[in-house]
Amino acid sequence: MLLEQQNPLVPLPMSNINKNIIRTALMISYIILIGLVVYGISSIYSYLNTGADRSKMLHTEVKKVEQYLPQMQWQPLTNEGRPMDQQTLKAIETDYLDAWYVKQVAYKTNTTEGITDYYTESSRENLYNIIQLNTESNTTIDATTLSHNPKLDFFSEDGQLAVLTDYDVVEYKRVFKDNKLIFDATETSDYRVTFLLEDGFWRIRHMVKLESRPFENQTTQDTLKLNIKGINYYPQATAWDMYGNNFNTDTITKDFKIIKSANLNSIRVFIPYESFGKANVDTTKLDQVKQLLDLAKAEDLKVLITLFDFYGDYSVLDWTLTQQHAKKVVTALKDHDALLGWDIKNEPNLDFESRGKSLVTAWLDKMIDLIKSVDNNHPVTIGWSNIESGDILKDKLDFISFHYYESLDDLSEAYTNLKSKIKNKPIVITEYGMSSYSGFWKPFGPSEDDQAEYHKKIQSTFAEEDIPFMSWTLYDFSKIPKEVVGRLPWRKNVQKHFGFINKNGAKKASFKYISSKE
Amino acid sequence: MPFKNFYIILFILFFAASSNQHSGNAKQNIELLTEQTSYVAGENVSLQFKGKATASTYLFCANSYGSIIVSPKTENTTFSFNLPQSFAIKTGIINWRLVDDSIIKTGNIEILPQSNIKAIETYIGPPSIEAGGTDYTMLVTIPTDPLDNPLADSTKVQVKHQFINKNYSNDIVMQNGIAYRNIYSEKEDGRIIISTECLELNSKEYDVNVVPAIPTNFEIDYNRIHEYADGNQITTFSTSELKDRYGNTVSDGTFVNFYLTNSKGYKSSTSGLTINGIAKAKFLHPDHEERYDVKAYVEGMAESNTIAIFYKKAIGDFEIHFSEDKRTITVGPIESFMNQRVPDGLNVSLKIFKNDVLDHKMIKETREGFATFKLNKDRFPKGQYNFEFYAAGTTKSFSTITYE
Repeated sequence: MLLEQQNPLVPLPMSNINKNIIRTALMISYIILIGLVVYGISSIYSYLNTGADRSKMLHTEVKKVEQYLPQMQWQPLTNEGRPMDQQTLKAIETDYLDAWYVKQVAYKTNTTEGITDYYTESSRENLYNIIQLNTESNTTIDATTLSHNPKLDFFSEDGQLAVLTDYDVVEYKRVFKDNKLIFDATETSDYRVTFLLEDGFWRIRHMVKLESRPFENQTTQDTLKLNIKGINYYPQATAWDMYGNNFNTDTITKDFKIIKSANLNSIRVFIPYESFGKANVDTTKLDQVKQLLDLAKAEDLKVLITLFDFYGDYSVLDWTLTQQHAKKVVTALKDHDALLGWDIKNEPNLDFESRGKSLVTAWLDKMIDLIKSVDNNHPVTIGWSNIESGDILKDKLDFISFHYYESLDDLSEAYTNLKSKIKNKPIVITEYGMSSYSGFWKPFGPSEDDQAEYHKKIQSTFAEEDIPFMSWTLYDFSKIPKEVVGRLPWRKNVQKHFGFINKNGAKKASFKYISSKE
Repeated sequence: MPFKNFYIILFILFFAASSNQHSGNAKQNIELLTEQTSYVAGENVSLQFKGKATASTYLFCANSYGSIIVSPKTENTTFSFNLPQSFAIKTGIINWRLVDDSIIKTGNIEILPQSNIKAIETYIGPPSIEAGGTDYTMLVTIPTDPLDNPLADSTKVQVKHQFINKNYSNDIVMQNGIAYRNIYSEKEDGRIIISTECLELNSKEYDVNVVPAIPTNFEIDYNRIHEYADGNQITTFSTSELKDRYGNTVSDGTFVNFYLTNSKGYKSSTSGLTINGIAKAKFLHPDHEERYDVKAYVEGMAESNTIAIFYKKAIGDFEIHFSEDKRTITVGPIESFMNQRVPDGLNVSLKIFKNDVLDHKMIKETREGFATFKLNKDRFPKGQYNFEFYAAGTTKSFSTITYE
């Protein structure tokens, strides 16, 4: 009752709170307003302080990023008009490739980014028209060019106009409609391109396709000349990371002697794509691979080189960079006596799910072509992660290789089955093995004796079926980079114990079965 | 009963096989009906096929600039693809693929440029060339049709140019999408007017300057008010008209450097720019008797003869007067060749030696024929000094001047 008698004129505590809220709100909004005003004035001030930057006018700030490096083979200069100099030719080449690159990006995304820099005002209309048509039909085209063979036809006296004919341009296209792949195709075309030098750019004024024909590739088959009895090799201390500062010839020499005396004749090593510098191959590391080959030669071991380790992009616009990488590596090593052959990529079929089987296969297909075009003397294979993938691209590979970590009981049958699909080509198991890890993370794992038993058994299958083999691996490793099997300790620890020789350098029971008897 | 089963199986097998074959044939039976493979840009390009199109039938086309896909139009027993106008207007090969899950048919169409012209893009350079018939400018033309395609190779382009009183006309043919011609200079300098014509379309007028070639050797001469070395008047050197080897007067502004070597072998220089082939340069008379050998150069191109020029002594002896305390010294009056007072500004120098070592050197300019030196007590304290005065080639010495 007392409450109801309160005088309505006395301000209620409620309205006091309200006042405070209003006050606070006013103050905050005042602060925000002042903040905005200061921000506005300061951004106007800083805008007015930016001027025409001389470096921007001259395009000197355009940084050269290597994003598009197809094979480029200029034909000898016999052009009409002014004699061409190398510097201008390089400038034309750079802008020409950039013009292709921005075009590929434009058709992939149906946007016009960058086109104005590399096409003159009237020729860019042609690209805009196509982008519009493709936008309307919801089409995108993911394409790249893999090789160019330009010949300079004409260079004007004042150095402002050039005409070239680009022969045998190999274009690979993946055509999507409504985000669904319709088809992919490779074309070979000749283009005649007229350039004008405008604002420091060699811009395309006219582009005429003179000829187009289906892509044909004649690659020769190479035979595998060795009956492989080998092993995958990393030094014990530097697994997956053996080049650069970690490279140690003494360790490798010692290990090669062990391998040789264990009656093995070959090894499989890996060249990681990124740490070798991608398209700009690190020559120091490449020299280290050469040293490794020299050491192998000294011990009469052959080396199967696996390229593109830890590579997983495959996007079409990245192809030219990977091809550039492969070209440099293969060119540098192709004449070495110890080279057995090329394994293009380790277990690429594991990327089918995330990147799409057709994309990965197309990349591999083109990579086979490239490697064979650079080196026609060594056989090429792909180390599939399972036997089921063994027949992919079988016609293009010189020998088939796969990895086998499944049950030994099925090996004979699966191998016979694969052999029936692949005629006249050797089939090699380039990885197999068993971890002898049994510990905290896997309490009931196999013991070293189980591992020895496994190798004994698989060797007898190899002997029966006459299967060439390369085991995984010489050593138990103490350190495994996270890129290999991830961070999970139960995976890492298992991976650490595949070796024939344990951490302390002692031969495990399995070492007896590292190779065949004879 | 076993027979019945056998027949059923046989029937099913037959049916399956034939239907299988049927669906296979649907794709294989597609035939290209359009026979035309060559079109002029701007024409409607359409490809007609016999057979049945499915929902996944597309025509993939790639022209000179890019690729598109086209959906079919179905009629009774045929289907056709109309290439979009904006795509089919570009010259070059269009390669097409008929796609239905896989590639069924492929082919090429050629698009030819129209045979009428819309524009002649003309590029000319360099914009100025040297007279003499060896230097040339290059004219590059890109005639285009109304759809901005370069005209077909071997299309004729007429290049017309005019120089002095002569008109020229030459035919060139297009090759590699362009047509070009080198236009050589003649012996005279002047301006070449150039225009082009292709399929009765005329370009606008272009001009190229023919500048004179480098100058040949030339003569020099001088001109002066009088021959006295009064340090006041100015001698003007001038060249003969500078010409190139074809007799063209060199361009205005050609830089000529005159080198003067005096009797002691010291060099000084003066320079001038040509106007109508003649360069003039000025030189102040020396204040003492002197002989100069003068030679002029257009650096790296041409040189003149050497001329000698003498300046007679104009200023003779002069008096020097010391004040009582010997600290104010008046030199003068200094008189010139008619005994007139020298113009203001003649340099008079005083060297002061103490114990035969140069202690100080002062330079004063004359004013109304006199120069005055004031020697401060603090600077030159008590002692003996030797003085040496110099003006207009004359040296006068006073030894053992003693300051109290």
